[in-house]
Amino acid sequence: MSKTTVFAAKDIITMNPSRPRATHVAVRDGRILAAGSLDEMAGWGPYELNEDFAGHVLTPGFVEGHAHAMEGGIWDYTYVGFQDRWDPDGRRWPGVTSFDAVLARLKEAEARLPDAETPLFAWGLDPIYFGGGRMSVTHLDQVSRTRPVLVLHSNGHLLNVNSRILEMAGIDASTNIYGVLKDDAGKPTGELMEMAAKYMAYRQTGNPFFGGIRTPSLLSYAKSAVNCGVTTATDLYATFNDESLAAYEEASLTPGYALRLMPAMNTIEQPIEEGLALMRQAMAMNNDRLHHRLCKVMTDGSIQGFTARLKWPGYFNGRPNGLWNMEPAQLAALIMRYHEAGMHLHIHTNGDEASELMLDAIEAAQEAHYRPDHRHTLQHCQMADASQFRRMRKLGVCANLFANHVHYWGDQHAAITMGPDRARRMDACATALREGVALAIHSDAPVTPMAPLFTAWCAVNRLTESGAVLGPDERISVEAAMHAVTLGAAYTLRMDHLIGSVEPGKYADFAVLEGSPFDVAPQALRDIKVAGTISGGVFHAAATRRD
Amino acid sequence: MSRQVTFTVIGGFLGAGKTSLLNNMLAQASDTRFAVLVNDFGALNIDQSLIKSADSQIMQLSNGCICCSLAGGLVDAMITLMRHRDSIDHILIEASGVSYPRRIMDFARIDPDLRPGMTLVLVDAANLASQRNDPRLAEVIAAQMDGADMFLLTKTDIASEGEIADAHSYLTATQPLAPVLAARADDAEILAMLLTEARDKQQAAPDMSMPHDGFISMALTADGIIDDPAFRRTCASVSGEIIRGKGFVHFSNGLHVWQQCGRLIDIDAASAGGDGTSRIVLIGTGPLDAAKGAFGQLGFRQLSA
Repeated sequence: MSKTTVFAAKDIITMNPSRPRATHVAVRDGRILAAGSLDEMAGWGPYELNEDFAGHVLTPGFVEGHAHAMEGGIWDYTYVGFQDRWDPDGRRWPGVTSFDAVLARLKEAEARLPDAETPLFAWGLDPIYFGGGRMSVTHLDQVSRTRPVLVLHSNGHLLNVNSRILEMAGIDASTNIYGVLKDDAGKPTGELMEMAAKYMAYRQTGNPFFGGIRTPSLLSYAKSAVNCGVTTATDLYATFNDESLAAYEEASLTPGYALRLMPAMNTIEQPIEEGLALMRQAMAMNNDRLHHRLCKVMTDGSIQGFTARLKWPGYFNGRPNGLWNMEPAQLAALIMRYHEAGMHLHIHTNGDEASELMLDAIEAAQEAHYRPDHRHTLQHCQMADASQFRRMRKLGVCANLFANHVHYWGDQHAAITMGPDRARRMDACATALREGVALAIHSDAPVTPMAPLFTAWCAVNRLTESGAVLGPDERISVEAAMHAVTLGAAYTLRMDHLIGSVEPGKYADFAVLEGSPFDVAPQALRDIKVAGTISGGVFHAAATRRD
Repeated sequence: MSRQVTFTVIGGFLGAGKTSLLNNMLAQASDTRFAVLVNDFGALNIDQSLIKSADSQIMQLSNGCICCSLAGGLVDAMITLMRHRDSIDHILIEASGVSYPRRIMDFARIDPDLRPGMTLVLVDAANLASQRNDPRLAEVIAAQMDGADMFLLTKTDIASEGEIADAHSYLTATQPLAPVLAARADDAEILAMLLTEARDKQQAAPDMSMPHDGFISMALTADGIIDDPAFRRTCASVSGEIIRGKGFVHFSNGLHVWQQCGRLIDIDAASAGGDGTSRIVLIGTGPLDAAKGAFGQLGFRQLSA
């Protein structure tokens, strides 16, 4: 007979309403046998008692319904963002708060590169916090004039390069292209935006973020997950090809792999029928740690980049409406076919016009091919109003709202993109729940750090970077937020029968916490330390945080 | 500098006929090595026996043409494609209906290995009215129209006469500087001519022949030096009438080759010296009166037919 292990804990928060709390949980074959008191475990036969976590709180392993496995690999490049971040190995990358600090960081990284030609890539720059002023070639030439240096801004739209790249690309005062920014004297500043200018830069060095995921990134991604208590994570914008599918399989079968992976195929990267064939090919590779099921659809851009598609009255600062990723009619046709083929769609919609288009498309798809339990999910869905949430409820559409956005960009949304009124209803968790919509919340890592307790803190407190409460009426309870990062997210992934709560039969996946989310002040939710995770009954320690 | 690759953008909404046009171009690619960037290889009409090699990104054909997938995005597709630039003469980009053609043409304006070609926007005469009435497409249509050097009005076989007339008048009213060509049976041949001949700089003298019925052409000549800026201004001001313009023009700094397709104007120093006379040919679908008058101001007079 298989071995049974009983874990004792200070408290086990089960998210199972029939038994909300327990002190012990029995695990056999990587699955939960029972939760309750030690006495109740005894009837299952002999067991080994594990008291390693007797001083810890266990919750269901957190479920990150919208993140990207690039979070694992992006640390190969230099982080120059404003906030402190920790890489998968626990190393702290202090936020940089001035141009001088950015340059110091880059010089350090430059000195570590093996030869004179390897390009230096950095990411996460956010000079909006530096009190005015823009980065230029003058800055980056202090790092190197001979090696290509490229710094991608946190918004993903702007790219700063040094004069080496400008020379290689032949960009000079005579270049007269929208997207090549120039100084008063008419010389390029090295700040590039839009496709053509970025193409010219990446043509010199290659685009480091292109081509689908590889195994090392997926292995690091699992480490990042352990560090924040996540036991199931999506890779929600995945290029599917033979190499990436092999990488998912290889990583998931690596002994000791601590994560259940849920890639979502980017549907726009191949014609519809080829995409469906790729999905069938992928699903045949599923195992306990790899759950191919999801298909991703991108509809519009981002709100802070002014590329989200908004309904009237549009952007607060009068910017023109955003961009569609595909013709609306094509998007609707894609939804129809994937829905008909039985696929599970996760649909990026930032602006409310994009959400509306997708609700129209799902309604049409349901009328043509009724599926009682499709669980299509609007991802981000940041501007949905109550009427859209009511439609979602009726149509069986789930919402995975971008709670972290309220903290990181809430001030800008109130001041610039949405105005103070509409900004209050951004990522409207309370409205979603009131209207009966299945709710998850997410980080979109590496856009913001993956850390479900932080994400829950955002949804509970809605505190912006400046300390303001943005939309107090959309705050939700700790209970609701904890549900959203466990069972709620599991539901949107159609995994709620396997993960998301401590219930018999489910995977023995837990977050191991140093305190209980229900015992601290709501403002302190994000400060609870994560000791690691238990995945399939096996403990994985979080990396020790270090400088 | 090495030889430049011509870069042409084919815009228009789904169903406007972009793929048919690209298929025609590929079918006629006898001496031009095209690279077509499309969303869906499968939609192209490629004879399987022509495929020399293929992966998910690039398909090479035995006639020298290349098909490249736009699936991973235009930036990465172009980076991949330009690794083959020595074996390409001409890039044709299928621009989705929601893309901004000007931003795509910027690739050719920034990359010295590329030469800006025409932005041709296909307009579905039968569906333009409903597209114009869709608020979700408002900015998209404006951007598409604004980027066009020339329009090709398609689906004229199924659109009503009223729809065709409405589409025509909408385009000429909103974009008076971009000529409108209505689709006809010999489209493929005409378009191949427009898209490729415009790049042929090797000819010693402009070809004065008028290859197709239904077009109006006019040959003009002028003696003495032509004012360069004034000539360029004139070309731009009458571009709505000019489906095709070509010829040799004497500026104060020597003989130049002039090529024009609607709003796309190209003027380069000629390799030959010339005899001091400027000779140009204008081709349009209408009477060319405004163009004749405007070039007349510069000293051009019509040659007898």
